[in-house]
Amino acid sequence: MIQAADDIVIKICGSAGDGSISAVEILNRAAALMGYHIMNFDAYPAEIRGFGKSVGHTRISRSVLLTTGKYTDCLVALDDVHAITELSTMSKRGVLIYDSKPPQYHQEDQAVAGFIEPGMIGYGIPLRELSTIAVRSSRSRNIVALGVLAALLHLQAEYFETAIRKRFSAKPETVIDNNINAFRLGFDYTLQNVNKYDELDFQHHVYSSNRDSIIMSGNEAAARACLDADLRLYAGYPITPATRIMEILAKELPLKGGFVVQTEDEISAAGHVVGAGFAGARSLTATSGPGICLMSEMINLAVMAEIPSVFIDSQRGGPSTGLPTKTEQSDFNIAAFGGSGDSPRPVLAPTSVPECYLLTRIAFDLAECYQTPVIILMDFFLSNRFEDIDLNQLNSNVFGRFTPQTAPLKDQPYLRFEVTDTGISPRAIPGMENMFHTVTGLEHDERGFPNYGKANHLKMTAKRHKKMETLVRDWQETGTFGPEGQLDVGFISWGSSVGAVMEAISLLNDQNIHSGGFFPRLLSPLQTSHLEVFSRRCKRIIVVEMNYTGQYANYLQVAISKRMERFTRVDAEPISSEDIVNWIIKDES
Amino acid sequence: MTNQRSDDNNNPLLNSGIEYFSDEVKRSGIMNYRSTALPTWCPGCGYYGITHGLANALKNLHVNNNNLVIVSGIGCAGRYPFFVKGYGLHGIHGRALPIASGIKMVRPEFTVLAIGGDGDGLGIGGGHLPHAIRRNIDITYILFDNAIYGLTKGQASPTTPFGQYTKTTPYGNPEKPLNPILIGLAYGASFVAQGFAGFPQDLTIVFQEAIQHKGFSFVVVTTPCVTFDHANITYQRFRNIWKKIPEDHDKQNLANAMALAQDGNYYNGILFQDHRNAWHDVQQSIRKNTSITK
Repeated sequence: MIQAADDIVIKICGSAGDGSISAVEILNRAAALMGYHIMNFDAYPAEIRGFGKSVGHTRISRSVLLTTGKYTDCLVALDDVHAITELSTMSKRGVLIYDSKPPQYHQEDQAVAGFIEPGMIGYGIPLRELSTIAVRSSRSRNIVALGVLAALLHLQAEYFETAIRKRFSAKPETVIDNNINAFRLGFDYTLQNVNKYDELDFQHHVYSSNRDSIIMSGNEAAARACLDADLRLYAGYPITPATRIMEILAKELPLKGGFVVQTEDEISAAGHVVGAGFAGARSLTATSGPGICLMSEMINLAVMAEIPSVFIDSQRGGPSTGLPTKTEQSDFNIAAFGGSGDSPRPVLAPTSVPECYLLTRIAFDLAECYQTPVIILMDFFLSNRFEDIDLNQLNSNVFGRFTPQTAPLKDQPYLRFEVTDTGISPRAIPGMENMFHTVTGLEHDERGFPNYGKANHLKMTAKRHKKMETLVRDWQETGTFGPEGQLDVGFISWGSSVGAVMEAISLLNDQNIHSGGFFPRLLSPLQTSHLEVFSRRCKRIIVVEMNYTGQYANYLQVAISKRMERFTRVDAEPISSEDIVNWIIKDES
Repeated sequence: MTNQRSDDNNNPLLNSGIEYFSDEVKRSGIMNYRSTALPTWCPGCGYYGITHGLANALKNLHVNNNNLVIVSGIGCAGRYPFFVKGYGLHGIHGRALPIASGIKMVRPEFTVLAIGGDGDGLGIGGGHLPHAIRRNIDITYILFDNAIYGLTKGQASPTTPFGQYTKTTPYGNPEKPLNPILIGLAYGASFVAQGFAGFPQDLTIVFQEAIQHKGFSFVVVTTPCVTFDHANITYQRFRNIWKKIPEDHDKQNLANAMALAQDGNYYNGILFQDHRNAWHDVQQSIRKNTSITK
């Protein structure tokens, strides 16, 4: 399907080192300056070098974006062999820009131009030659290609120049000049020599370019939330796709009076976080599936000893080391249930980059209010995708206000785990006068002393679960989306798949298939009453998620009697709205 | 060691009528550093001597109870925090050091002690020791080394001697024991000391120095398990084999300290100490200069 002229998916594909990713970065910045919305999600291999394929993938649109788009409208080939493998994602009348005189000799059957399908349009541009004119090497083919793109799609050149200046602002003036030169050469060459006969056209439109917006990834949003939430200690171990959070905090947090420590393993990272939480300071670690496995015991301790602590799990394909640079949503089970015993803890799932910020911020409040570890389930797609964010979005709070209870100093003897109506015990922290207590991973009585009595175990287990009931009551966000009333199709989804489902819902409603959604950001504990209300409105219920077994559907199914259908994928790519719509239409017709 | 006490008695407090502490102990002032909970250790356990030595050190240093945090792992030694008047975290097997480090990092004004046994610190948690040492975080780590797994009733530990019979080594221990002192020195700890549970007065001196040391202090206390080890570390065998550290030993000389650690003798006291920057000092320089200078 060809997108409307002002909603275009662009891919720049090259070998690692060809500059595909940085070219897309400049393109995003230029588009955002012109007032467009962007969503960018690059794909690269787990290996650093060795001619791996590297694809910059961005979507530019007049309207707010929910997905990166399934089909490519315009593919820029910086490496023919790799680009050939991307052709299958092209829309039927897609545009291919390729190097008519590429730097590497390749066999005739490896030229991307030879693979163009009927209906597609190819423009051969001497990218290498133009780059050599601009910078005396083929290094700037990516920037030349940006010039070609801008001229061809009718985008204003001066915004690209601003974006290039910004991208290379740390470099010497000559580097900036060379790159602008390269861009200009590509731009002018295209205007003078290329006869445009495709339909992709931004018509030189510039929308309010002074929107208070900034381009941010999910990882950057989470890191920013940590800084704004007054994080005191980040302890972490590098792991894709969460590492970027640590890298940002390593630079920024010490300047705000916090500490960052790179630990020897994830067990130690979680230990530092739990220790700091016990001492009354906000602390966090970010990891991925293999790390969450190692942290499970420490998370369990934080449940038992009721220690505030926040864990981000940016999921990738699993199990084990799995697919380190691919996205999946298959850690729900370990996030919600990982660890021995009945071990309840809140699990949050942001559905967009702004929500990575909002839910990370609120996670610290939840952790302190309910004295619990909180797990935030991000994923590779959310961590690494870039969106343009309106900064005002980051000030909203639709989730509720969560205020921690501090123990009054006069209470003696202090009962650290006093049983209350809410399950929440007024908390004292070390350093307070005479509120001595020892917390433990052993079952304990209200004072915190080890106690293996059966009545006590029942009482304290109930207390820990009571806190989760209180949280469900306090949580204000309902998760419902779309039209009110009866629905032909009701979707339930979570995390990064929600964007595609929202898009699918609007496409289905356009076709008079009445659809809506229930997208809880608080995955667990379950908001049973919201789920029940929603399920009663739906003829069909479909749970959409990126795992094989339907982990979240399994969790929900026990709560309601209506049968749920599952739309699950583990094909290492984000779910697309087209896939969902096609699946529904096939069934409905 | 038995857990019956905490099982059956919901209120294991001093005022339960049990006359547990002698008048002499009560008068000594160390009760300010003891909680009202009674230890769960077997009668005669070396840990009582360590507890006495440590309480005396805390008393002599006038440590503020409100700022005293004790973190422990799992094992007989893990129960230690419950018996101290202060704040405690009885955590996970082998993980006392990461938790203690996290606490100290955010609350540098605290006196943080990490406590664990030989299985806890050298077995399951052995991977954390070099890194806590590397960071030189200002905590005191006291390793209660009885060369046996006591809480699980008598299995071999990483410091059980070669050939010793235990429940999991019925034909004799096939593995060579670790030398914790040598490990601490080789990893580069800024403070390494050892002592014996049978000499609480000497322990008090070592603990005082360790707590006052700015940086990571590693104290290995050899201690008899009177229930499960009748062959290796016993009061009878060990009381007489300890030696004083030679008068001319230079505490800042790592090679000499390593030589002492390997000569087959047990030396009572501080084998090594230097005064490099502790973790927080380095972090301060990050904040001031935004990069580290030596």
